[in-house]
Amino acid sequence: MGWRWLVRMRTALMLLGVLALMTAVATVVPQEPNVPTTVRSWRLGEEGPGATVSAVLDWVGAFDVYGSPAFLALLLALFLSLTACLIPRIRAWIRLVRRSKPPVVKTVGGSDITASFQTDAAPADVHAAAAKLLGGRVWRIRRHDPEAEGGPLDASSGARSAPSQVAAEKGLWSREGGSLLFHLSFYVLLAAIVFGQLLTFEGQRGVVERDRGFADTAISYWNYQPGRWFSEADHAGWRLELDEFEIDWIRDPLAPGAGQPTTFRSTVTITPADGEPFQDVVEGNQPLTVDGFKIHQLDWGYAPRVEVEVDGQMVYDDLLTAVAADGGGFRSAVKAPAADPDVGLEVFFYPFAPDGDGGPSLTGAPWDEAPLLVVRQWRGDLQLGATQQTVNELDTSGLESEGGAFLRPGDEVVVEGVTIRFPELRRWVGFQVSSRPQIPWLLVGSALLVAGLIPALYAYRRRVWVMAVRPPGQQRTLVTVFGRAFQRPEKFEEEHGDLVTELIRMVGVPPDDTTDPDDRAPRSGADPAAAARDSATEVMPR
Amino acid sequence: MTPTELADLSRVLYSPVTLSLYLAAAFVYLYALTTTVGRREERERGMRARKVGLVLAVAGIGTHIAHEIVRGLAQERLPLGNMFEVTSLMALVGVLTGFIYMQVIRKRPELNGFVLLGGALVLASALLMYSEPGPLMPILDTWWRTFHVSLLVAAMGIFAAGFVFNSLYLLRDTGELAVARERERQLEGSTVGAASAGDLDVADETSGIGGRTIDRLDATVDDGRDHDAEYRAALRAGVSVPRLVIGTFLGTSLVSWVFVYSAATLAEGLTRFLTINLVMVAAALIARWFVPLLPPTATLDGIAHRTIAFAFVMWTVGTIAGAMWAEQSWGRFWGWDPKETGAFLTWVAYAGYLHARATKGVKGRGAAWIGVWSFVVLMGTYLIANYVIVGLHSYAGL
Repeated sequence: MGWRWLVRMRTALMLLGVLALMTAVATVVPQEPNVPTTVRSWRLGEEGPGATVSAVLDWVGAFDVYGSPAFLALLLALFLSLTACLIPRIRAWIRLVRRSKPPVVKTVGGSDITASFQTDAAPADVHAAAAKLLGGRVWRIRRHDPEAEGGPLDASSGARSAPSQVAAEKGLWSREGGSLLFHLSFYVLLAAIVFGQLLTFEGQRGVVERDRGFADTAISYWNYQPGRWFSEADHAGWRLELDEFEIDWIRDPLAPGAGQPTTFRSTVTITPADGEPFQDVVEGNQPLTVDGFKIHQLDWGYAPRVEVEVDGQMVYDDLLTAVAADGGGFRSAVKAPAADPDVGLEVFFYPFAPDGDGGPSLTGAPWDEAPLLVVRQWRGDLQLGATQQTVNELDTSGLESEGGAFLRPGDEVVVEGVTIRFPELRRWVGFQVSSRPQIPWLLVGSALLVAGLIPALYAYRRRVWVMAVRPPGQQRTLVTVFGRAFQRPEKFEEEHGDLVTELIRMVGVPPDDTTDPDDRAPRSGADPAAAARDSATEVMPR
Repeated sequence: MTPTELADLSRVLYSPVTLSLYLAAAFVYLYALTTTVGRREERERGMRARKVGLVLAVAGIGTHIAHEIVRGLAQERLPLGNMFEVTSLMALVGVLTGFIYMQVIRKRPELNGFVLLGGALVLASALLMYSEPGPLMPILDTWWRTFHVSLLVAAMGIFAAGFVFNSLYLLRDTGELAVARERERQLEGSTVGAASAGDLDVADETSGIGGRTIDRLDATVDDGRDHDAEYRAALRAGVSVPRLVIGTFLGTSLVSWVFVYSAATLAEGLTRFLTINLVMVAAALIARWFVPLLPPTATLDGIAHRTIAFAFVMWTVGTIAGAMWAEQSWGRFWGWDPKETGAFLTWVAYAGYLHARATKGVKGRGAAWIGVWSFVVLMGTYLIANYVIVGLHSYAGL
């Protein structure tokens, strides 16, 4: 263990493996933040592998993998390992960019691809042409001319005795630079996610059509999940009212995709804190943004209006927000503590329950062509405030059943002296309001990631040397172009051939050139030793 | 034509037309591969067979594209809405990319047989998830979805091609290792190393698979025996049949159990499970038979690396696009939904492969194994997130 251990690629691979394993656990075991009800039934042993196994899972934190200390520790280890890996690489890269020059060679040997031709042009002209050609194709070039340079040459490249040449390279900065950028983008993403968690806000609230609506304040949300650094003063204070919610389905049971919804559209009126009200639309893929808060449709349901009268006294008159339940119904509850004793109604709503032979038949279809309200009445103590209960469920432990009834819209029934009316039917929409200041940073991080990934995989490191010599007493100049590919040599062959052809076009070949045309074409010299050497250069060449 | 007629036509175009064309092309190409070591007239027959294979493969790709278009017309939307359509397109992209890559870029048409065989298997597996054409939910009807899903599906297809080549690499490498071990055992005590001359494994990619040399030139020693044939037989024998069969069966089971889990009856599920497993075992045995005829390990490894690197970029961009769409449509960019977890897991696995390939001591066999496991992760999470765990993405599912 220690720094050296952290720097190793094997460690990084191992940590990635553990990360994969933990994510796999999170795929198989239900996660509390996502599906709390499933987790509850796993803990109780009603679902899943049983209560004992669940206790073990709970103990290791498998129900909330991404919030568990082990996951945080792993993340820390990964970023430590990444940092340990990156620091020397970044330093080497900066050194490379600042100091490195394409190395010069003394002899032709050892290169992967070689081609040569003869020309009448002077060696200096050939070198100038090669520099122009390579420079124009964004190679980094270095012109080496021992006679012109004269003075002491840098000993590191051993250039003193090397003949006059043009050395060029490309892909060395961009490949490693891309890889560094790819890895550095993770810091941007991590920072965006961590600060995002602190600064974000998310709240949900249901709104009934043509009803009161709600204002963007801390107390008006049903569910309220602010980040640690999000304060109540950060709310913008606009108001939202739902004018209409349109929803439709493929109603023909024989049509393909029968029962699938086709429309989800909320028409809303927004009143900004300091401005005129305006109407706008929220659709499935089209959230509404108000003062930096995004408004999405999250949920929907039917909102039957229910009135309850006891002894001529109205004890309840409200729009219920019934939620979808199994079997195509919607469930809700009426809680009327104003009556004495308390009145509670268990409410089931069936949108499409046409009359059949023995009473209404429940089709399970979600469109409201034959709405039916089924109520079951309870009296006693609702235990409001005494036990934890949701809006749409009754705690019947202190109640006694008094029988039930069916209601169509406009109906009125009397159950054990309690009058129940169902005067109208509306719909409600559950809106999610969120503020995520981290989104632009996440986009920047993602853009950096892709921008780094592409050169990291597709910038190939290549070196090329052009050496023109005119042996004493001869008229012709012999030009040799040799190159080395660190990645994908077979692709480099074409590029090399193209360079040679272009250079020949620039400097000209004497018409009586007797060089064997095959000789001019690039040959690939493939000796296993060179291949083995190249494979070792996955690390940056010094 | 009415939508129903179009739907029927698209189904026929898919199976049997495209499926049989792919299979036929695969077998013709594989036959052509067997002739590469034969006598001259045999080789000429192989070249002719390769031409037939080309025609069959192009025809198969043509009918496959026609199927996608007709299905799209029948339901008046892009065929990217459910498991069947996604898997079908995955096969098409895999075959098309692999085919063009082998035929045009790498100029190794002899390997097309494996690409087409892999494509035919994916195509056939899509039939297990067949659903009639139908419309799409409104939330799925957006440009984002087209972009995000098609990128990921294309990446899946190319990952599948990468898996084929990683597997072939491992088979070939296992054969070569066995031969080298055998030589070493025979030459024990000899002062000369196993072999150094005549290494025909020219690394055409910086793959780092060097150092092991297989002496093939000693086949020129004239002692009346066919050393080439012996070498080929030794390579094939180097891959143990029981281990390959059991390994493939167990490896496939890691994914195919989902079909047992999700089927209506146990019998039906077991039938599907066994069908998939046995087909994979058969494919592995066919591949084993071709081990001696495969190109050098470095080439196979290089092809696998290039395809996976390409698909990795697509997977990255596709996943980011998915997060952007999720933010747009659900109001959160990432929620560790089963499908999102699966995409992340796959990404991590393939990132592991790419890193392993640049790591001393892991590259070569180790990296290839990580590549193979990554594909298991890909297929496993794809099927689990659709069939086993219901999440937000599941409405895109069956």
